[in-house]
Amino acid sequence: MADTGTMTKSLSATGRGRTIVLPRLVGGLKTLGSVLVTLLGLAALTFMIGRMLPIDPVLAVLGDNATQDAYDAMAAKMGLDQPLLVQFADYLWNILHFDFGNSLLSGRPVADEIARVFPATMELATLAMIIGTGIGVPLGVVAAVYRNSPIDHVARIVSLLGYSAPNFWLGLMGLVVFYSVLGIVGGPGRIDMIYEFDLQPVTGFFLIDSALAGKWDVFGNVLSHLILPALILALSALAYVSRMTRTFMIDQLEQEYVIAARAKGIGRWRIVWTHVFRNVAVQVITVVTLSYAFLLEGAVLTETVFAWPGFGRYMTNSLLSGDMNSVVGCTLVIGVIFVVLNLFCDILYRVIDPRTR
Amino acid sequence: MKRNLRLLSSAALATALAVPAVNAETPANALVMAWNIDSISTFDPAQVGEVVTNELLQNTCEELVARVPSDEAEVRPAFAESWDVAEDGKTITFHLKSGAVFPSGNPVTAQDTMWSLKRVISLGYGNAAQLTDYGFTEENMDERITAPDDTTLVLKFGDVYPTSLLMQAIAANRVAGTLDSKLIMEHEQDGDLGNAYLKDKTACYGPYSLAQWNQGQSVVLEANETYAGEKPKLGRVFIRHVAETGTQRLMVENGDVDIARDLTPDDLRELEAKDGVYVTSALKPQLIFWTFNAADEIFDDPKVRRAMKYLIDYDALGDTVMQYLGTPWQSFAQSGALGALPKEEATPFSLDLDKAKALLTEAGYPDGFEATIYVGSLPWSAPLGQHVQQNAAKIGVTFNIEQMANAQFFAKVRGRDFQTGIKAWQTGVPDAHGNASRLVFNPDNSDEAKATQFPSWRASFYDETMNELVTAAAVETDVEKRKEMYAELQKDWMDNGEMAVMFQTYFVAAARDTLKDWTWNGFQVYYGMASK
Amino acid sequence: MTDISSPPRSGSLGTWLRDPNPTSPLQARLHQSWRMWRKLRRNGSALLGLAILLVIALAALFAPLLATHDIFAQDLGNRLALPSGEHWFGTDELGRDIYSRLLYGARITLYIAGLTAVISAPIGLLVGAVSGYFGGWVDTVMMRVTEIFLAFPSLVLALAFVSALGPGINNAIIAISLTAWPPIARLARAETLIIRRSDYISAVRLQGASALRIIARHVVPMCLPSVIARVTLNMASIILSAAGLGFLGLGAQPPSPEWGAMLSSARQFILSNGFVAAAPGMAILLTSIAFNLVGDGLRDVLDPRHD
Repeated sequence: MADTGTMTKSLSATGRGRTIVLPRLVGGLKTLGSVLVTLLGLAALTFMIGRMLPIDPVLAVLGDNATQDAYDAMAAKMGLDQPLLVQFADYLWNILHFDFGNSLLSGRPVADEIARVFPATMELATLAMIIGTGIGVPLGVVAAVYRNSPIDHVARIVSLLGYSAPNFWLGLMGLVVFYSVLGIVGGPGRIDMIYEFDLQPVTGFFLIDSALAGKWDVFGNVLSHLILPALILALSALAYVSRMTRTFMIDQLEQEYVIAARAKGIGRWRIVWTHVFRNVAVQVITVVTLSYAFLLEGAVLTETVFAWPGFGRYMTNSLLSGDMNSVVGCTLVIGVIFVVLNLFCDILYRVIDPRTR
Repeated sequence: MKRNLRLLSSAALATALAVPAVNAETPANALVMAWNIDSISTFDPAQVGEVVTNELLQNTCEELVARVPSDEAEVRPAFAESWDVAEDGKTITFHLKSGAVFPSGNPVTAQDTMWSLKRVISLGYGNAAQLTDYGFTEENMDERITAPDDTTLVLKFGDVYPTSLLMQAIAANRVAGTLDSKLIMEHEQDGDLGNAYLKDKTACYGPYSLAQWNQGQSVVLEANETYAGEKPKLGRVFIRHVAETGTQRLMVENGDVDIARDLTPDDLRELEAKDGVYVTSALKPQLIFWTFNAADEIFDDPKVRRAMKYLIDYDALGDTVMQYLGTPWQSFAQSGALGALPKEEATPFSLDLDKAKALLTEAGYPDGFEATIYVGSLPWSAPLGQHVQQNAAKIGVTFNIEQMANAQFFAKVRGRDFQTGIKAWQTGVPDAHGNASRLVFNPDNSDEAKATQFPSWRASFYDETMNELVTAAAVETDVEKRKEMYAELQKDWMDNGEMAVMFQTYFVAAARDTLKDWTWNGFQVYYGMASK
Repeated sequence: MTDISSPPRSGSLGTWLRDPNPTSPLQARLHQSWRMWRKLRRNGSALLGLAILLVIALAALFAPLLATHDIFAQDLGNRLALPSGEHWFGTDELGRDIYSRLLYGARITLYIAGLTAVISAPIGLLVGAVSGYFGGWVDTVMMRVTEIFLAFPSLVLALAFVSALGPGINNAIIAISLTAWPPIARLARAETLIIRRSDYISAVRLQGASALRIIARHVVPMCLPSVIARVTLNMASIILSAAGLGFLGLGAQPPSPEWGAMLSSARQFILSNGFVAAAPGMAILLTSIAFNLVGDGLRDVLDPRHD
């Protein structure tokens, strides 16, 4: 009896162990599986779309004057003369080896090209997100607390303008005012031409590279080029973040515990920041993460106006030239960003949010 | 009211721009340019087929002869110090510079030049036509392109061509640059004759060499220490890729670049009035035209095609949408080319809806018809399309416009899959033969021939008489007689040809006053002559 | 029989609408709409948005009467003119009257926004409701597909689609709809997950109703309010997407006065003549703001949590 008792105990102990470890393992595998399936689906979809496109990459490379012989030779070189299924199989096989192939346009490895353009966009997006969150979240909180007051209306108008104004227009106007007239920001491009050779790209993030090299004049120059496009992108992120924060806050402010706390005589802002905001923090982070993901896709028109050699422009350009190898590479990168950021949010939910524990 | 507003806004603009901006100075020993350089995809002279890289190659690879800056129809010695033509007119011997050295340190010899020319034929890209058009083939090239010693290059031809034509078409073309054969062959992959190696390098003998190229970002050229010709005045050329024309304008206004290359007519007009900036231009050998597919039932009739030429208000467009960008021109032989008609004779058509209507009635379309115009994504594409669309509507003809990415548009036209389209075409020689051999001559009109590099074939245009005249004119050595033949050809073609040529275009740029001696003509841009 | 509320007098629509004891489903539904309208009426900014939308809709409807010029008539001699008594908003790069083009453009823009909503909302609703209701592998598969479409760069999808089918408004609408449905599907799924657990649905299920019937008759109507609010908020981004396609030459084709196309062709004149871009830009801005205000208001009204 005693024996069985210990048996049961130990069994139940292992049982409990299993209930903890196994679901985690299964959950982990499931997540991994779904990530893979999503990426595979993305790859298939991009491939299909690529082959559907009427844009001819051969002509994009050879130009309009090419003879038919040259055309056929180039098409064969690009592997476009193979049956579709063979092309797709080749393509998947290569991706599994982390080989995204060569850009049809430049002939360089797509991975190298993305490694060059992505940091430019990421540097911009990160700064924009810091500014957008730094202003957007407090703005949303204040707007919720003073709901339907003038502050709320001003916040709403600012964010609606940020959301609805065409970015390229804001960009050009920003350049006219701050670069041409006032001369207080660096112009288009990531860095002044004279510094372009001074900086050895290590990470590709010019701010980090210049700081690592201890070249603070270069750092200042990079920042002066970065600030205006970052502000403009921040405006649209700010709009979304502040609106969503306001909504979440309003939901919470109507909860009974807030009323109870108020009744206890706890200060208004203390309740807001220590209790209410804590409860919406996870939701806000989710929103911030999502808009970060969208910023990482790169804003084509903003990048064009600011002559920013970034990811969005690279992808659009590749698409319009029919350079599907590059487009597929870009799509997978974006897919991975979304998946990773989604995962990050899921984990955050479990770690921070007491309700899901 | 209107006047007031205009005053007000210009006053506002003036105050806004009068405030001295903190002008960034460009480096004193460098030429800094803002330019849309998206189209660069390789630096292999055998493969390059677009204007941007062509211009860069002209400054990195010295050709056998160079065009005289002030007169593009004339050539002067470059890598070849002199040349002589044999009595039978079929052999040209070039005497090359001796003792020249590549940037790699390898000596430059006539064998390198020979290898570079043959390489173009062997690789068979579009540029091979520069040589195959004059009878060179992969089979006969070993016998016809020879280098008897280190400083002598001999070209043998099967026919007698006018020497000026050969100099322009071959000796001054990018195919006649001298590549570093030894260095390149060390990096050959799978028998590609260094095509992959030259994707992002210039292993060439010339004033500059490519120091850095980042796709869609920047190009940096550096002066070659080993170059024996006239040393470039500015040691470095920085080209920043700027796609947005408004951004280019702001950069040149601000002094962040010395010269901006892609500006719109309206920005140029305002820049021209500003202090510190000047506008410079050069007529290019490029034509903008509206092409009609003769395989289409409607456009098979020359009368219909002629009627379309009366739907275009050449002068009004030239003063507005195309100001600074182009000048009205209607013949295939561009202004400045040997054999081109004078302006009055090269622009016989003008807007005349009654004539157009009458021609359509004669052709059996008294009530008009419906057709499609394809346009690409260049700034002038859609406005020109809408202009003819609107005029056509006035005589009962309905045109639907479809705009698409250039690569897609080109594919449609090359596949003969279009009714009409508005396009541009550039030739490489200041000689009527350049375009006669492409826009008029059609080697074989069958679908199977796939003569896709001929706009005449694309438009299913085939005319036996014109074909013969093109062939005969190319080998006519009496210059006056040759000019007469081209005059006759042009008149016939303007009446019955497959396209309505609208404009000949300009190179146009806005530069800072500090940039001096910016030198160019329609065929060549001389970075090395610019100074500060 | 002492009825507190007096029976509806015939002819008084207001009383009939306000009747708390509806006698028919139609009356019940109308009654609900009436209450919502009353709530919406108290929301100043939503009303402002509604008023703007109404003005735009009227402008679109009466464009032929309000327009002062033929929207296709060109006048190269008077291109890029500043606003004047003759051309209220100036003229564009071919000398066409911008004011008249804006009016006609409102038709196209509203058509794009409306049709996109009509296409994408049902798809999103259906995918979300089915996925949420059935759960299990149906849910997994459908959500995976949704995720793929969500993670796929929307511009690439739209561009690819439009370039495959050829440019044109209707193809642009299909393309934008393809990118607009995944967020709606996710929202509908989240709502369905909550509804599915309610006693009410269990009761219906016990009565033997088929899954299809439950989804169609009970789940979808419950999701509808939040989906409608969400779609209204999306209108702004739909209009901007259409404008974005216009920039790349893939939306409405020239000489259509679609606002995005007008804005994109005005782009090269921004520095030399700001009015050409300002007019369509302001129109787009105003419309998206109006839709956003209405969407915000609708969310407050329709969301039961704010009762």
